[in-house]
Amino acid sequence: MLEVRGLCSGYGRARVLFDVDVAVRAGQVACVMGRNGVGKTTLLNTVMGLIPAVGGSVVFDGVDVTRAPTHVRVRSGMGYAPQGHETFAPLTVLENLKVAADGLPRSGEAIEEQLELFPRLRPLLNRRAGLLSGGQAQQLAIARALVAGPRLLVLDEPTEGIQPSIVAEIVEVIGQVAARGVAVLLVEQYLDVALGLADTVTVLDAGRVVHSGQAADLSREEAARLLAV
Amino acid sequence: MRTVDTINQLLAQLPVGLSIGAVLLLAALGLNFTFGQMGVINMAHGELIMVGAYTAFVAQAWVGLPSSYALLVALPAAFAVTGLLGLALEAGLIRHFYGRPLDTLLLTFGIGLVLQQLARDVFGAPNVSVPAPPWLAGGLTVAGMHLPYARLFILALAAACVAATAYYLSRSRSGRRMRAVIHNRDLAAVSGIAVRRVDAATFFLGSGLAGVAGVALTLIGPTGPTTGTNYIVDAFLVVVVGGLGQLRGTVLAAFALGLLNAMVEPWSGASLAKVVVFAAIIVFLQLRPQGMFTVRTRALT
Ligand SMILES: Nc1ncnc2c1ncn2[C@@H]1O[C@H](COP(=O)(O)OP(=O)(O)OP(=O)(O)O)[C@@H](O)[C@H]1O
Ligand SMILES: [Mg+2]
Repeated sequence: MLEVRGLCSGYGRARVLFDVDVAVRAGQVACVMGRNGVGKTTLLNTVMGLIPAVGGSVVFDGVDVTRAPTHVRVRSGMGYAPQGHETFAPLTVLENLKVAADGLPRSGEAIEEQLELFPRLRPLLNRRAGLLSGGQAQQLAIARALVAGPRLLVLDEPTEGIQPSIVAEIVEVIGQVAARGVAVLLVEQYLDVALGLADTVTVLDAGRVVHSGQAADLSREEAARLLAV
Repeated sequence: MRTVDTINQLLAQLPVGLSIGAVLLLAALGLNFTFGQMGVINMAHGELIMVGAYTAFVAQAWVGLPSSYALLVALPAAFAVTGLLGLALEAGLIRHFYGRPLDTLLLTFGIGLVLQQLARDVFGAPNVSVPAPPWLAGGLTVAGMHLPYARLFILALAAACVAATAYYLSRSRSGRRMRAVIHNRDLAAVSGIAVRRVDAATFFLGSGLAGVAGVALTLIGPTGPTTGTNYIVDAFLVVVVGGLGQLRGTVLAAFALGLLNAMVEPWSGASLAKVVVFAAIIVFLQLRPQGMFTVRTRALT
């Protein structure tokens, strides 16, 4: 579903990513791990077109989208919940969902589906997103990314700084989404969450891939060693 | 006895203050979009107002519409003309200078000068006047205060524009998209919004409102190449004092400035009034640098 090859990018003259390869298949969870500042967010932002790629390619569903603007990638079926559970703070929860659902043939149903997936959001529909707790905002962020019915869901640390009970709910939703055939590209720092969900694991260090393979072949000890490099 | 006189004098200035406020509000409403929300310092906004005023002139003097309803045609026509002009400027020039406020300022200042010269070439340097519709002649006298219909019309027009803007932003689909882009461009793009198109739409609206302000100005004075330029500094101040991009704040700031202007002027004359108003604004911004309401905008990067 997603094929990233030899991706290079950075900020101005500062290169952050060097020749990164990642692939995600439909219905699978590909987990990207690495210590703080190794370039995980930069990778996802480049995949989504928020940062231009300096080299390499991003192919989504057989189409080269390396130069496509972000909204075109999103409309072609790539959903993204960026790091830090970002929402449109001055808009209500419902408006946040509508913004991403506008223009869909069945936007009402699409929003309803998300409320079934995240029942905690239903009583909050008319509340400003800026007033939500971190956990609620993260659920809204994922719902917003899912509302247009993407075939690829890109998530950047969805469990960061969120209370354990909601982490469990979010983990369950990610599992359900993948089970429906959506490809999931997940950046996750918590080893337990990552290894519990992942089909494949890619470990980055200093902007380069230092490990890549099936999650099943990666022992906890090996993973812990890679992340502590 | 003296205090009663003073109070009466102040009260007499109330309608003047309100109508100055309404004109300022119309001038500032468009800036509220382009400057307040997008962060673009468009120095040519005053010239867009001027183009709007000349649109009203053209509707009567060239097209030959009778003054009885030319005003009502000129309002939407000016909105379209200056809106499209603003759109063309955004797409052709200003867009390439996003995130560079100083360059934008110089660029749009230059555009303003070009537009003024064009107006001189097309309409001549002397002011022209646009006859007001007969139904706006005269006025009301309430409690000893004279309220000209033309001023009341401007007040109503400003109220209608504020209401339409508020409705558009809070209720319409594209207003929602606009708020989303203003709050967080990247998140908006990630939500499937074509942010460049929304920038263009925001500019169209802001510029179109300048045209409406220009038509309103023809009701209270003659039209010349520098019509509008006179209002631009005050309009920017209104947007800053109101708290960038805050509609409520813009409305309050416009009327506060209008009233302050009108109250101070009888004692001090027009130019000293400006000084007093500026001083008041500086003091206000010292106390409340974020404006009346909290800023919730993101400059374009
Ligand atoms: N906007 C930016 N401008 C310049 N450099 C940046 C910018 N954002 C990130 N960087 C740098 O790029 C490198 C990678 O940052 P990135 O945010 O991709 O890391 P990360 O792996 O997501 O870290 P974390 O786990 O803390 O989220 C870091 O060295 C960071 O300092
Ligand atoms: Mg990160």
